[in-house]
Amino acid sequence: MDDLLAEFIAETREMLEASSGEIVAWEADPTDRARLDTIFRFVHTVKGNCGFFDFPRLADLSHAAEDALSDCRAGRRDPDPQLVTAVLAIIDRIAIMIDAIEAGDEFPDGGDEALINAVSVSHETLTEAGSGPGKQGSNPHQDEPELPHPGLADGATVPARRTDPAAAQRTIRLPVELLDRVMSGVSDMVLARNDLAHRLRQAGNQPTIDGPFERLSTILTDVRDAITRMRMQRIETLFSVLPRLVRDLSAELAKQVMIDCDGGDVELDREMIETIRDPLTHIIRNAIDHGIEAPAARRAHGKHPIGLLSIAARQSGNTIAIVVSDDGRGLDEDRIAAKAIATGLITAAERAAMPRDKILNLIFEPGFSTAEIVSTVSGRGVGLDVVRQNLEKVGGSIKVASQPECGTVFSLQIPLTLSIIAGLTVEVGGQRFAIPQSYVEEIVQGSSRALDLTRMGEAALVTFRGNRVPCLALGEVLGLNAGAADSDDPTLVMLRLASGDLFALAVDSIHNHGDLVVKPLAPAVMKCGLYAGSTLLDDGQPVLLIDVANIAAAHDLVTDTRVRARQPLDDDAAKPAHDAPRAMLFTDFAGRRSAVRLELVRRIETVPVSAIDRSGERPRGVIDGMILPLVGLSDDALPPTRNAGRVRMLRLSDGAGELLYAVREVEDAVLLPGALHPVPEDPLAEAVTLIDGAPVTLIDAHALFAAYGARPVPVHRPRCHLPDDDWARTILGPLVVAAGYEIADPETGGPETGDPTAGPGAITIIFDEVYEVAEALGRAPTGAVIRLRDHPEAPRGSATIYRYDRDGLLAALSAAAQGAAVPVTAAGASA
Amino acid sequence: MMGQLLVIAQIAGRRCALSALDVKSVIDLGAVTPIPRAPDYIAGITALRSQALTVIDCRLALGLATKAWPTDHRAAVVAHGGHAYALMVDGIEDITTAAGEPGQVPGGFGPEWSRVAAGMVETMIGPALLIDLPALLAGPETARITEAAANHAD
Repeated sequence: MDDLLAEFIAETREMLEASSGEIVAWEADPTDRARLDTIFRFVHTVKGNCGFFDFPRLADLSHAAEDALSDCRAGRRDPDPQLVTAVLAIIDRIAIMIDAIEAGDEFPDGGDEALINAVSVSHETLTEAGSGPGKQGSNPHQDEPELPHPGLADGATVPARRTDPAAAQRTIRLPVELLDRVMSGVSDMVLARNDLAHRLRQAGNQPTIDGPFERLSTILTDVRDAITRMRMQRIETLFSVLPRLVRDLSAELAKQVMIDCDGGDVELDREMIETIRDPLTHIIRNAIDHGIEAPAARRAHGKHPIGLLSIAARQSGNTIAIVVSDDGRGLDEDRIAAKAIATGLITAAERAAMPRDKILNLIFEPGFSTAEIVSTVSGRGVGLDVVRQNLEKVGGSIKVASQPECGTVFSLQIPLTLSIIAGLTVEVGGQRFAIPQSYVEEIVQGSSRALDLTRMGEAALVTFRGNRVPCLALGEVLGLNAGAADSDDPTLVMLRLASGDLFALAVDSIHNHGDLVVKPLAPAVMKCGLYAGSTLLDDGQPVLLIDVANIAAAHDLVTDTRVRARQPLDDDAAKPAHDAPRAMLFTDFAGRRSAVRLELVRRIETVPVSAIDRSGERPRGVIDGMILPLVGLSDDALPPTRNAGRVRMLRLSDGAGELLYAVREVEDAVLLPGALHPVPEDPLAEAVTLIDGAPVTLIDAHALFAAYGARPVPVHRPRCHLPDDDWARTILGPLVVAAGYEIADPETGGPETGDPTAGPGAITIIFDEVYEVAEALGRAPTGAVIRLRDHPEAPRGSATIYRYDRDGLLAALSAAAQGAAVPVTAAGASA
Repeated sequence: MMGQLLVIAQIAGRRCALSALDVKSVIDLGAVTPIPRAPDYIAGITALRSQALTVIDCRLALGLATKAWPTDHRAAVVAHGGHAYALMVDGIEDITTAAGEPGQVPGGFGPEWSRVAAGMVETMIGPALLIDLPALLAGPETARITEAAANHAD
């Protein structure tokens, strides 16, 4: 019974919260049937539950409200403000009673009749002017047999209940601690899974185990996602009570305020929502009490008499930003300053030197409160200093900005502790660290000369897209090793801060990116100011999450003065570019020093050898899912490279087409000051010039693109049908995708159906025995077909490829891809 | 205190007692990821299943050098303030029961030890220094600051 009661209380509370916003929305638009239905359902449910638990007073109250609303639904009564207020009063009374029931208190008698009369009175006067007000009102339907039976009315709403998006989801309530336990259990399972996966890989291919394991793995991932979402709640739950709050406050203060909530779908940890509930309420109270003027004053200032209060939530990285803005009178800088001087927060001299921004933010200082007359609304003994304290306790922050007569904007930043964020794993000094992906603008690799790394005193600057960007070496920041930024080959992670400032973080290498479960760190570790949390890698190794914002702030990278340093380099770089052409200097695989005009270079890429396909008549490379022509490789086997299986490439673009130019080493961006001597004997060379006394061949871009770049970039990836089994999906699939194909959805047309929508260039990979059967039935797949066999040894005259013959498969895929550009002529097209 | 279970560990060559209620488990300490620029007494973080533990070197947390004593591969896992810590000690000896209330000794335990000592407690295997966990976890730095503040107040 106690469990049932607890459930009743919890359910009623939940519905109370959800319906208070609905009521205000309904008042604004009384014709809104959906809102009316929601509120009606609430009181109806309460009434039903009360009868079950024997709470006669609750039952009477909800009954009265139900009757009044039922009349509105039937169109016998208009929902005027009086009625809305009366219904709200009843709902408030229900809430208080629920609290009393939960606490086990006896609720003081009396007061119910007045409330009940309030909802019934206008109804009485409207329909039965003769009948006097009084206790009869509590049971109006006894007097009116024509009133639809509540049960009937409920029956009528049943279809609406299914379609109404506002209908409450079916929920159960769980202690958060239990969720945490389940969550850590699932995390442990993921680690065990990873360990097992590692062992399975060592043991080699075992199809009987791999299939089920793969399935288990997928299921586990799904479960983990679901569990993670369990702790999260939409910020909507917080927003839904605000319309009611704003309505009550503005009525009390004789102001007209419209509230606009945005971003309710942002998800936040449940406990974090509870933490920000009071601060947010406080700010809204302040805005209505002090910010927004009375309608007459607003009109006098040429504003719309209805004030606008807007609340927007946005997720950016691992923080949620909530912005509360009003269009009221704004903060009074002079009054704040005078008050701050009077309370001894600042001196008059300090005030003179303080910018407006700083003065406004004094309102968060302890002991500061501008309200000269403490009103019932704002003056509740807690000031904005408490708001700030509470937010800082959970690692958040608050600041204010305001324009006189235009309004005030409060910006709250709240962290998502225990959250999953996308992160990048980097290595420096032999240790791994994680960086929140949201900060990462781009990853740049290149020689320090190409990046124009310069040391200005202790500071380092790199040139990125024509901008001078400050560069921090993560190793130096962490005191690990001081070599990363100075090495010839740093990897730079370009980080964009929330303020818009950009800086480069030099690391030794990039490992991985993926979702990270961030856990809080012990206070003593947080005090370093370098880390935002810790997370476990897939192998169970703990890594530290870098606190990018804090590190940037500690190195003074978030100041306004630095804007100047970020100006485009008009003076020292752009101008000479007009005088002399600029070029990217490199050494190609033939050992020749060459240069290509800088305008052509889109990016410098580092590509694993596996992404290079040399099986076709022309080599090609795969980058970002696109197959691009590849030039610059010598004809013999891939030369050994310094970068362990990786090749540096210049990604050249003529605006429409792109191609890759493999190079042994990228040297630098240089000016071409000397005379250009044409070399007609080499078709790909525009000229030879001297740089630092050594000859350099300038690549003829026109000839290069004419010869190699002519074929357009395959925007449309050809589709490939795979056999419908696990092996094809998990083992063959990635290979096919890497070769630039899109896997055709088996649902939309298998190979046997000869799907007409497959389009030209769609190819089919099929097991030979399946193909033979299909062919015998006259249903061989159309288009190019690659037939696979299970045994390495080919039968005589067979056009099949062994299923693990990687080179053969790639060659066949590549040949088919070339066929894709022209009408399909491959075998089987006639079938 | 009488009859309360205690985990007995050797820290810097002294026999110390931790309340068994504080100690969640004793684990084999695996790989410890160091935390650059963290205070010395924080040896790093380590993973206990999916949980991350902050590893505290108790000798350094006392403000003593760590080299003079051997280090056990086992560590005691304790929770404080919602965070879990692994305590690196010389060795974990035994679990025993307290045979009396913690008391002070005349002359005190010495400056380093007094900060982390809740008193001396008699156990079934002899007297041990009862550790005040929050003070131990706070590390030697805070000790100096509080001392400085105290001196300043004088």
